[in-house]
Amino acid sequence: MPTRAIKAIFFTRFHHEKGSRVLHQVPEGSITPSSSPSALRTPLFDVDAIINTYIIPNQQFCDRLLAFCTNHYRVIGYPVCIREGRYSRNEFIFNFALVVEEGVSDWIAYGEVARKLGRLLRGLEEQGEFLSREEEEGRVWEDDGATGGGGLGDGEGSFGLGGGSKVFALCEMVLEDLNNYAECMIPIDDSNTINLKLFPTRAPPPPIYAHQVPVLTISLSSLHTPISSDLTLNRILPHINGISSVAHIAQLADTDLSLTRKAIQHLVYYGCLVLLDIFSFGAVYAPTAEIGGFVVDESVKEECARYVRVPRMRIGSIKPKLGSVESERSRGGTDERSSISSSSRSQLHSEHTTPSDRAPAPDFSTTSVSWSVRDADSDDEESNAISHMTLITLYTSLRQGLTLKNWVLENVELLGGIDVRRLITFGIIKGFLYRVHKYAIATSTSLPPAPPASLQSVSTSAAVNHNDVSDQATIRGGHLARIPSLVAPTANAFPHPAGERRAEEMVRLNSLVSEEREQGLPLVRFLDGMHCFDEICTELGMSERVVEGKIRGVGEVQVFSR
Amino acid sequence: MALPLPPASNLHAILLVTQSRSLGPRLVFHYPPISPSAAALAANKAPVWFAKEATTSSGGSESSSSDWDSSTENEGGDDDAEVGSRTSGGRGSSWRTGASHRDKDKYRPGAGGVWGRSIDEEDGDLEVENGSKASGNGKQKGGIHDWDTVLGFKVDALEKILCPGKAFNKRRFEMGVESVVFVGAPMFVREDGLWKKRKKRRKRSAEDALLANLKIGEAKKGDGSPEEDRSGSTSTEPFVYPEGFEPGYGHGLISGAPSGAVSEAGSDARSNSTADNNPDMTMFNVVFVLNPPALEYQLRVKDMYDNISRKYAKALKYEQARFQYVWKESKRIIDIKQRAKENGEALTATWQKILAISPLAKSIAILFEAISNDKIAHVHFDATFNTSFQIPQADSTPYLPNALEPQMPGLWLTTSNVVIEDESDAPMTQHAALLLLEDPETLIKDLEGDNKNNTAALAFYIRNIIPTKSLLKISNKHNIVAQDMEYIASHLVYWRRARLIAPLHPRDTYIVSPNADLSNLQAAIPAYASRFSTLPTLPKMLSMLSGTPKPYRSFIPTAEHREAYMDILAWLMRGGWVTQLRTFAWVRVSPEIKAQVAADMEREERVKKADDLRREAASDNGSMTESLLSDKRSSLLSASTIRPATPLRRTRRDRDGEEEGTETNAALSPLVAATGWRGSPARASSSDAGSTSSARTTIALSSGAQQRPISPAPPSHSRDPQQQQRPQRPSPLHLKTTSPSRPQPFSPTSPSLTATAAAGPPQSPPPSPQSFAPSLILNPQKANSTEARWLEKIGQTFAHDADLREHWPMLLRHLDGRHAIEDISPREGLKRKRVAALFNGVREGGWLVVVRHW
Repeated sequence: MPTRAIKAIFFTRFHHEKGSRVLHQVPEGSITPSSSPSALRTPLFDVDAIINTYIIPNQQFCDRLLAFCTNHYRVIGYPVCIREGRYSRNEFIFNFALVVEEGVSDWIAYGEVARKLGRLLRGLEEQGEFLSREEEEGRVWEDDGATGGGGLGDGEGSFGLGGGSKVFALCEMVLEDLNNYAECMIPIDDSNTINLKLFPTRAPPPPIYAHQVPVLTISLSSLHTPISSDLTLNRILPHINGISSVAHIAQLADTDLSLTRKAIQHLVYYGCLVLLDIFSFGAVYAPTAEIGGFVVDESVKEECARYVRVPRMRIGSIKPKLGSVESERSRGGTDERSSISSSSRSQLHSEHTTPSDRAPAPDFSTTSVSWSVRDADSDDEESNAISHMTLITLYTSLRQGLTLKNWVLENVELLGGIDVRRLITFGIIKGFLYRVHKYAIATSTSLPPAPPASLQSVSTSAAVNHNDVSDQATIRGGHLARIPSLVAPTANAFPHPAGERRAEEMVRLNSLVSEEREQGLPLVRFLDGMHCFDEICTELGMSERVVEGKIRGVGEVQVFSR
Repeated sequence: MALPLPPASNLHAILLVTQSRSLGPRLVFHYPPISPSAAALAANKAPVWFAKEATTSSGGSESSSSDWDSSTENEGGDDDAEVGSRTSGGRGSSWRTGASHRDKDKYRPGAGGVWGRSIDEEDGDLEVENGSKASGNGKQKGGIHDWDTVLGFKVDALEKILCPGKAFNKRRFEMGVESVVFVGAPMFVREDGLWKKRKKRRKRSAEDALLANLKIGEAKKGDGSPEEDRSGSTSTEPFVYPEGFEPGYGHGLISGAPSGAVSEAGSDARSNSTADNNPDMTMFNVVFVLNPPALEYQLRVKDMYDNISRKYAKALKYEQARFQYVWKESKRIIDIKQRAKENGEALTATWQKILAISPLAKSIAILFEAISNDKIAHVHFDATFNTSFQIPQADSTPYLPNALEPQMPGLWLTTSNVVIEDESDAPMTQHAALLLLEDPETLIKDLEGDNKNNTAALAFYIRNIIPTKSLLKISNKHNIVAQDMEYIASHLVYWRRARLIAPLHPRDTYIVSPNADLSNLQAAIPAYASRFSTLPTLPKMLSMLSGTPKPYRSFIPTAEHREAYMDILAWLMRGGWVTQLRTFAWVRVSPEIKAQVAADMEREERVKKADDLRREAASDNGSMTESLLSDKRSSLLSASTIRPATPLRRTRRDRDGEEEGTETNAALSPLVAATGWRGSPARASSSDAGSTSSARTTIALSSGAQQRPISPAPPSHSRDPQQQQRPQRPSPLHLKTTSPSRPQPFSPTSPSLTATAAAGPPQSPPPSPQSFAPSLILNPQKANSTEARWLEKIGQTFAHDADLREHWPMLLRHLDGRHAIEDISPREGLKRKRVAALFNGVREGGWLVVVRHW
């Protein structure tokens, strides 16, 4: 939220005889010229040109959020029309409008405030004539006579200045509080309080897949109260460690997979999480175009050196064991979240302006204490141990087609004191590395009959692997529903001579699919080139090697990576 | 703005509103006839990029498929390469959500859902919306008779609110109702009752009688003028269209005899405009109704206004000025509507009639259909004037999407289109090749349909364009003027017919693009197979390109296959399946070099000291202060004179090069920056920044300043929003603007320290390599004096290789991690092989940190 984005707030009323009139404005002179000494020289825009059409619009447009751009300002109002017998002409029309600059990117947030204000004031007016009583007391409209020559809205010199008018005070408080604190709480009377807050608009969260690995970017465990009453969320939180995939987390926490995915989606929405891929030494990583940013930026390099360093006690026995994810898991635990990205953390805090969100307590979760203390101790000596050149050399030597295992073998001498998993993870999080995913696509002209025995055995193991059978069933259902649509158009789309053979083949493929459905091993459906190996392995609960073996068994399949 | 957003106009209706003395504000025409209600649009906030967001949040069990899975459906054949069609799927799905909302409305009584009602069969031809609507509860026999509401608003209220005051003349009119926004560019009549400033040398009112000749002349002149208008008025204009290459190909150089209809219309108009100097219509406003997602609001609205609303309104105004086009058409439409309403005719039938009769209505319909599907609209206003409109789309991105920020799959992933800021190189246009996104013959046929005159010439150009040869080479070979070539190129690129790429070459390396759109794969396989039936299949090709990166050459079995394989490569490139892997490098300075340089400097310092002492001794009455001064001066002098000869020469050459560069830049940059081939329009600002800063560097250099180059202040406006937005993504494009010659952390060698060290006891031990750490020189062009000495020292190690030694300064220019090594050969005019040899020479010496990415 930009600071002090609200340039003005004004209250407009439609009078059955005197027309539309700006009754209150903050700051003075921002909307209509004012004689007050502190007033702005010139109004922000020419209100007279728009007041009748856009501030007090046709009733068709009342009770809707109405924004209008004029003179590089955006006037956001929520015109309200109350139809009741007690008003003259049975109508009471007003608009409580905010002015922001036209270029404010997230003006929708202000729109929501305007809408809420409009509705609240409508309620207040309907309940206790909050707005009309003030007018009946006779100050607002009568002043018009005195300053009549001045025309529209010249009256505030005599009535507007604070003191009496509650509505004016309201304008003032809303403007100041929203600009300074992005929220406000204004007691109106015994039973009513106006609570407003500017909520930044957030991007809708992406879909979460079972094979993604969530990493917390803030320490949720440091919050004193549970962050949510969502039981799933509370259960899965301890298992989010930057290593386990969503499916694995669901398994560990004994939660439903789809609920788990939803819970993680929530965390993503609020920016507490980033999503990674499943780390393995068989995976391939390569630099993206942003590697240049890493090379140039000293601070990132330092952050990296701090992050990837193996804690002191392990120095000496540093050579990472290949494939020893287990050993890392033992220490990865909770400290994963502690130092991932200070930048994203600060970003998060800058966005959350609620007081309760500020001041994160230090991480007191049991496991991480020891580590963080140790980290702090060894900070000075060891951050020098990993030179920037080493990091650059390591990162730039990653490339397509080179598995991490082989890369480690190539660079063993440079990797002293470096946690390979963290090294990779850091690059992924910062965006200068990417995982090269493997895909498989069935191209065969002759699909051999799938070996049923092995398939079945695997299918049972798959079912065992997943705790939640029902969940799996739903997943499968969703996929199978799509299969025919994927297969059918392709079958139709072969105009060339081989078409008939192809079509026949498709029939066979279809039959294979249905066969597999019965057997509970829908491997073929993953062979359309849209599912990466991570996903296949997670869905089937098999290791990559097993999957690769199966795929070879299916027939002519091309494996490619991107 | 970092990731280019997928194109999505979010356009849902177009309204034409006029203000006239006789009729007041009047909603003349709206399209589509059955407009969605504003309430339904407001409810439809589904974001564009997660087309299946709804399913994940509700069902949650559907576990996989890309975010764009819907785009497979409407794919077929070759056009998977076409930018527009790739995304129409995503759009289509958002339509669908919209429709479902509308459907909901239908069953909610009185929810402003007048539009939920059925449409009778008549609308089949019109294809107003998708079919879901038509299957309604058709009770009224004649279809919809609702003449009084549009978008769920009463027409009279709407027409009033869409007629802004005169202050909005030629300004942006933007009004939001809930999350629906109305964007328009209102056009007002001038005070003198004309729509256009009268040209002095033409006195048209008097010369009604001189018909034919004058009219032709006018038509011609007129045709030019909106172009002038546009190109002159704003900088956002793509480029000045060369004669004969205007949008839509058909525009301009109209055949001699205007058709009867036009002359009729023309004379009519003339008599009209001469008759009353007090025109009836005072304002017209074409309003575009959008419902952009909140986070994309500003961008989408701006795109629509800049590219469509304003240009379309200008075109209409031009027509209005010529022969009262808008008002006459409006009266006609109002008339038809009035009669239909009185006769109780159905809305859709009436709309069909209007579209058949009124070219204005037709043009609005065409505009809507094309723009709402993110296509290019070819609009024919009348027989003599037609033009095209589009919202330009990004054709490449350097950013890779991640799980949290997906972007358009299939978008070409490359840094070759990224404008390097603080950089004065001439744009690579001449050295780039043009990759046609359609088959040349299809393209030519398209052109023939549009334009009769230049087809032959254009076809000649297009047939000769091949993606393996740079434009320069093609124009040399076929004797085409280079400028013509560039015009054609920028034209084709702007109108989404082609892309500028680095010429495809078998020696270059290509990988499967991490941004390839796999959901297209199933459709692409047969398309590929029908084209390259005897060659490896598409999956096979992808598989081959997935391994350890190798030059493409190594996949070509024999020399005879070369051409076919290059065709395959072009095809893959077109579809965004592959991207070139480019090489970037920085110079790595080893501790040994640093130690040597430090020792050298110390020695020099000592020598100088000795000199000074000698001089002091020699001068009898040399005062202390004077010697100190001279000392200082000499040290200053030495700092600059000692500077190696090579950098000096280099700078001079640079200067020449850069001046040349800026010159061409000045000539080309408006063209290139605006055509948008360097990426998204939002990047235009950064390219601006780039050119200004480059100008600055040129000035600094040409003023002969030898001091440490002060890096130009980073153009903060282009960089800050980026960083605020996504601090976790260090982007090379933006990080690069940070001062490249930042103070090095290893202070022992920084000049100030060495100076003080030298000022101290002269007999300090010679520095040993152990006391230095290797480091990178981030930008050799802007090396400080110490860095320059290191570089020179490294250059000296190539003693055995005279060639390398000679080209070292040239190579240095490209060793900053931003210039691809692959670009050296065309830029410097060296043979590819030679460059490779030079580069490998340096690399083998261990002087480089090399990284490869796109």
